[in-house]
Amino acid sequence: MISAEDATRKPLPTPDADTAAFWHGLKDGKLLLQHCADCGRVQYYQQATCRACGRESLVHRAASGRGKVHSFSVVHRAPGPAFKADVPYVVILVELEEGPRMISTFAGAAPDEVTFDMDVILTFEKVSDEITLPRFRKA
Amino acid sequence: MSRDSLRGKVAVIGIGLSPVGKVPGRSPLWLAADATRKAVTDASISKSEIDGVLSSHAFASPFHRFSVAFSEYFGIQPTFSNNLQVSGATAATMFNIAAAAIHGGLAKVVLVVAADSLMTGLTPDLALRSLTESRDQQYEMPFGIPVANTFAMTAHRHMKEFGTTAEQLAAVAVTQRRHASRTPGAQQTAAITIDDVLNSGMVTSPYHKLDCSLISDGGAAFLLTSAEHAKELGIEKPIYVIGGGECYTHEHIFLMPSLTVTGAVESSRRAYDMAGYRPADMDVAGVYDCFTGTVIMMLEDLGFCPKGEGGRFVADGQMTYGGAIPSNTHGGLLSFAHSGIPGSLFHFHEVVAQLRGECGERQVQGAELGLVHSLGAGFATNATTILGTRNTL
Repeated sequence: MISAEDATRKPLPTPDADTAAFWHGLKDGKLLLQHCADCGRVQYYQQATCRACGRESLVHRAASGRGKVHSFSVVHRAPGPAFKADVPYVVILVELEEGPRMISTFAGAAPDEVTFDMDVILTFEKVSDEITLPRFRKA
Repeated sequence: MSRDSLRGKVAVIGIGLSPVGKVPGRSPLWLAADATRKAVTDASISKSEIDGVLSSHAFASPFHRFSVAFSEYFGIQPTFSNNLQVSGATAATMFNIAAAAIHGGLAKVVLVVAADSLMTGLTPDLALRSLTESRDQQYEMPFGIPVANTFAMTAHRHMKEFGTTAEQLAAVAVTQRRHASRTPGAQQTAAITIDDVLNSGMVTSPYHKLDCSLISDGGAAFLLTSAEHAKELGIEKPIYVIGGGECYTHEHIFLMPSLTVTGAVESSRRAYDMAGYRPADMDVAGVYDCFTGTVIMMLEDLGFCPKGEGGRFVADGQMTYGGAIPSNTHGGLLSFAHSGIPGSLFHFHEVVAQLRGECGERQVQGAELGLVHSLGAGFATNATTILGTRNTL
């Protein structure tokens, strides 16, 4: 159970052994995907092994940043006090050009701009010295 | 079906419900004990006959080992115990695992119990935040994803692919509210219309406030034992576990294989196969209803209507009395109560009561076979249990 004070702060990721490279990449302006040198699988999110073949021959490559909105939902009632000032905002499920899907939020001003299968492009939002979040705007 | 399947080997012999809704001043342990006392009375056994306890974590309880803490609180010393946690799917897994434990000889009389105090013990803000915290800390949480959001995105895509409408989603809420109006103790019983749902304020599109389930206090308890022991005890109407199945397709919403076809297809297929029955044979159902669109998708994936037809099926009255599959006849998570993990146990309570013929004015006449489907975490977890009367064995 979390305290009422904690609930007013936005949750930020704490990079760990599996994800440090990912968050470091974002800091440098790159959204890193893992490409398996053995089976060719491209995966998001980061881990030590390929989810298809189980081997450890993963190579990080920056995503093109292009993708499509597979689904979305406009948040009007925030999940707790930390996000209350942001509503309405659009949570989007983006299908990246390379194949994997990811969760993000729409970086454009008008939530009703977002439609199914809309082309979007990656943008970066620095939220702390360590953390830059990958977000998307209309392409 | 394998020769060693659980089909008909284990029966529910006692059921109990705590007060639900807003129950101030009562801890999860008290709510669990209240429900268990009623189940023990219902089964006419002594609490010392309980040798197994399956429970789950309660958000509003400081105890990490809730099943162990509960046993101490209730004054029993079981020889089989665990806390299960696969979010909303936990309820059906408790029944499946209790049946397996009894059939496998690990325990003779298993108590399935869960309770939480999300409304008064935790407060709605903290309850929602705690549920949000259950999403991945690295790749989901930083974006401010309400617990409703992952489910909202599946329903939204369902609308895009199949033309499901906001009015059809709302029809689920309206139907279940009508059901709850005949359920003593239900949290929300005032009649609502489609317009009421559409005008209740957007939470996260396409879900309005009344498309979302409640935040409640409450608990439920069940006693299960072998079919033979139920007979020895002289249980008048044992309700048998005749099929069970589970399916786990992903953890992160972005790795869900399809936003509109879920693991419920496989979990229910396994349950139907074990039971030896088809969807059309079911008389009554408890369908996990954290949101209205969830019910529509589940009615499809559980085989009650073809894929994409769920919206029309519901609007056409097929999930209520006189329809193909009366579902959530107590009002469900949308109108009866939703206290977290126990939420889906309320569906079990209703389906067992229906199969016993104890539902009074909400009775589905002649109900012999019932299905309960529990799911959670944006359809990451799915579990199905099929229950039946003696006639269905």
